[in-house]
Amino acid sequence: MLSGVASIKLRKRKIGRIFLLFLFISFLQAGDSQKKETLPFPVTQHTLKNGLRIILAEDNTLPVVSVVVAYNVGSINEKPGKTGLAHLLENLMFQGSRNVGQMQHYSFIQKIGGMLNAVTTADKTIFYQTVPSNQLALVLWLESDRMKSLNISTTNVENIKNSLIEDIQQRQIADPYLGIFWYFDRMLFPSFSYGHPVLGTIPDIKSITVEDVKDFFSSYYVPSNAVVSIAGHIDKNEVMELVEKYFSTIPMGNELPPLDLEDLPKIQNNNLSVNNAFAPSPGFLLGYQIAPRYSEEYYPLVITEYVLMKGLTSRMHARLIEKDKTAIYLSGGIQRRMDQNAFRIFVRATNEILNERNQRAVFSEINKLKTTFVPEGELQKTKNMFKMDFYKQYSTVLDKAFFLAEMLLDGKDAHQCLAELDRFLAVTHYDIARMVNKYFNEDRILLNIEMK
Amino acid sequence: MRKELGVMNFSLIFCYLLPFIFLTAAPLTPQERFRRSPPLPEPFPELSLPPIETHTLTNGLGLAIVRRENRPVISMRLIILTGERSSPDNLPGLATLTARMLTKGTTNLKAEDVEESIESIGGHLSVDTYPDYSMFNFFFLEEYLDEALRLLGEIILRPTFPRTEVENVQRSMFYDLAVRSTDPAFLARRLVLQILFESHPYKKIIYDQGEIKNMSRRDVVSFYSKYYLPNNAKLVLVGNINLETASRKVSRFLSPWQKKELERSYVPILSPRDTTKIAFIDLPQAKDAAIFLGNIIFPINSPDYFPFIVLNQIIGGTPNSRLFMHLRESKGYAYYAFSETQFYRGCGIFLVTSRIRREVAYEAIQEILNELNNIRKGNIPSQEIEQAKSYLIGNFPLTIETFDNLSYKVAENQAFDLGRDHWERYIENIMRINSEMVSDMGQKYSLHTPVIVIVGNNEILEYLKDFDQVSVYSIDGKPRYEIKKGEKE
Repeated sequence: MLSGVASIKLRKRKIGRIFLLFLFISFLQAGDSQKKETLPFPVTQHTLKNGLRIILAEDNTLPVVSVVVAYNVGSINEKPGKTGLAHLLENLMFQGSRNVGQMQHYSFIQKIGGMLNAVTTADKTIFYQTVPSNQLALVLWLESDRMKSLNISTTNVENIKNSLIEDIQQRQIADPYLGIFWYFDRMLFPSFSYGHPVLGTIPDIKSITVEDVKDFFSSYYVPSNAVVSIAGHIDKNEVMELVEKYFSTIPMGNELPPLDLEDLPKIQNNNLSVNNAFAPSPGFLLGYQIAPRYSEEYYPLVITEYVLMKGLTSRMHARLIEKDKTAIYLSGGIQRRMDQNAFRIFVRATNEILNERNQRAVFSEINKLKTTFVPEGELQKTKNMFKMDFYKQYSTVLDKAFFLAEMLLDGKDAHQCLAELDRFLAVTHYDIARMVNKYFNEDRILLNIEMK
Repeated sequence: MRKELGVMNFSLIFCYLLPFIFLTAAPLTPQERFRRSPPLPEPFPELSLPPIETHTLTNGLGLAIVRRENRPVISMRLIILTGERSSPDNLPGLATLTARMLTKGTTNLKAEDVEESIESIGGHLSVDTYPDYSMFNFFFLEEYLDEALRLLGEIILRPTFPRTEVENVQRSMFYDLAVRSTDPAFLARRLVLQILFESHPYKKIIYDQGEIKNMSRRDVVSFYSKYYLPNNAKLVLVGNINLETASRKVSRFLSPWQKKELERSYVPILSPRDTTKIAFIDLPQAKDAAIFLGNIIFPINSPDYFPFIVLNQIIGGTPNSRLFMHLRESKGYAYYAFSETQFYRGCGIFLVTSRIRREVAYEAIQEILNELNNIRKGNIPSQEIEQAKSYLIGNFPLTIETFDNLSYKVAENQAFDLGRDHWERYIENIMRINSEMVSDMGQKYSLHTPVIVIVGNNEILEYLKDFDQVSVYSIDGKPRYEIKKGEKE
């Protein structure tokens, strides 16, 4: 529904993943006096000579291990006219390397009962797998082979281009609102780098050449731009030996191309409408630019997101779906593009009259938060729901590995983030009112989706 | 969350038929010897499963606890040991409607208050109804165990079944069904089951929109009073809690739940069908053909369970299995082709699921039947058996990582009385399967004479004309007419 599945799906998980980091860090600090809530796994970090960063988390609950290899590259690194390149390369990574045949990465992992996949976002490309812990070496062999010697041939690239184009067409058929989301996101993030969809556009994908792919690969898929995160049933010393063996002789690569991002212009009050004959019902999109992740204001903004949008009893759901019964679909929340954040709400109704009522209701719910404090009981409920999502982020070893990889790529030192859960839980009703007043103001975009 | 994400790349693979080209690596710069071939695995690590501890409370409620210490959450599942098969014959769907009504209002709480109470403890509560039981799934922060049990007691003991809420739930069941009825895979699966279950009580898992409207509040109340009894229920808890504390707390909140005499219904055992039947549903908007084939196999508590799941793995458990390799990789007929098993108290189902290019529908069906006939002949190479076993053994710990998945497995074990061996010795039970045991399964069960359901646009009928007889059904599963070979439609 959003700017491409790549980003939607990740967005969903990310909200929670941030918190895992903090949790584990509070464990590091807590030491002997750890509370019941802390995460019982030790973490160690290393950097290889070629710049590859390694993070290890031991968890012996079950004989499984997750390996996450994450590259600090995404759609934000693409150039105009070549959108979709980062996502294309993610797919190409399954098409074989010097010692691994086409799709063999997949079949090797499948045969041993493991799972694997990959995801591309605005600023990261992440490959991941969970396998029985006796098969760790196999995964390191596979991952190092494609990092070192990916097979980038004309045939492979053309095949992937065709399937990606067909994929975009299928998604557009399956989701008549997809194009509208792309259009809206370009206005909400009004610069090329931040605003274009991760999936890319069909003409751009068509224009991608083998040389483009080779350049992108040799620029960004290098050890110094990557992180290997391993969590599960491991012996730290043995693991480091294996990691050294498979990854240390991969050449460091050239200096990374500079990331010259234009400043993201601030949005201004804007009411627009778009006509969509294919949409099954009218609706609207509303967006605000808000403070970025890791900033002071981010914590109250996340709690605000929960108050408004999370769960059946959240303000918007309770109002539009349960009480007024004027909306047939409601979604939204914080949208992240590397160092920029926005808040987006999408509501659908059965007809234009209810659509207008929904718009008034959404603004009225937002305005209530500006003038009336969230009652104590509701704030506690919201924080409990938040806590639940927070804890879910370490239900599997993959969750842990995934989160640690993201943290490392974001350049966050564990010790900076101490007691992060507490910062979320310390948010007051006053903080929420302050944030809503500051960010949910007249500088917003309202896109009305009509069906004429 | 992971599951949702999990389709990212591989949805591409299953949706588009990419030509497969194996590239021969050109001689390049020298490389380290160890890079040339995959490393050998270490010995398979020990898997020790936490034991299931059980206790029966004085009112007959069964309690099962699995202790896991590393997360501050609890997954709790209440199983009512009566499912859709016990709905009255003229009211299929009543078990589902009743279960969904429990959270819609109690003596002390309105439906929205129930939602509020659930989310206040960081919780989620959902309910699923199966042929043999209904399951209430409750997940919450561990510090709120008392609140969770109090709420559970409230919805189980004091539901009021408000008339308007009955209508709301009926409307939502009606709408769910309408949405799902546009999905070829859903229609194909449902018709296979409908034909296989014929006149068995399990046929009541299938109901149409008219039947949803037939049920009244009175029916719900009567189903509830008859079956929602502590001596017909089990409660499963996974979290950092011991049996003693759990028993004490559960008793405190659920002991007012009164035991009552309950007539246990006998589940007739179904046998495999030995003749093939071909059925077709016309879904005008479907571009491809959903082709599903199924037959009856044994009930879940049969000793055939372990050898059969190894066999299923060989036939179609993953993209490395026979169906996918042959139908997709060699022939290019299928977008996907898999097989699966489902188990109940009275029978099991073996089901082949596939999405096929419509112009090769006939060839694809023949190819699937060939595969099933080959299985019947036996002679499955032991290497294939070992590979299937290593998948199942390797995959098992991944399926019990989250508290939710773990408690589901435990609940299933309790609902079907599968016993300790089935749970604690899963790995050993797979390990001991040999070639002979697997081949026996192929001979014992008539996989080669299944019900075959094709769902697609009616242009497919043109490609099915070589079958002796095709039974045409409407989208809601009503038989419409037969097409015999050589006859014009």
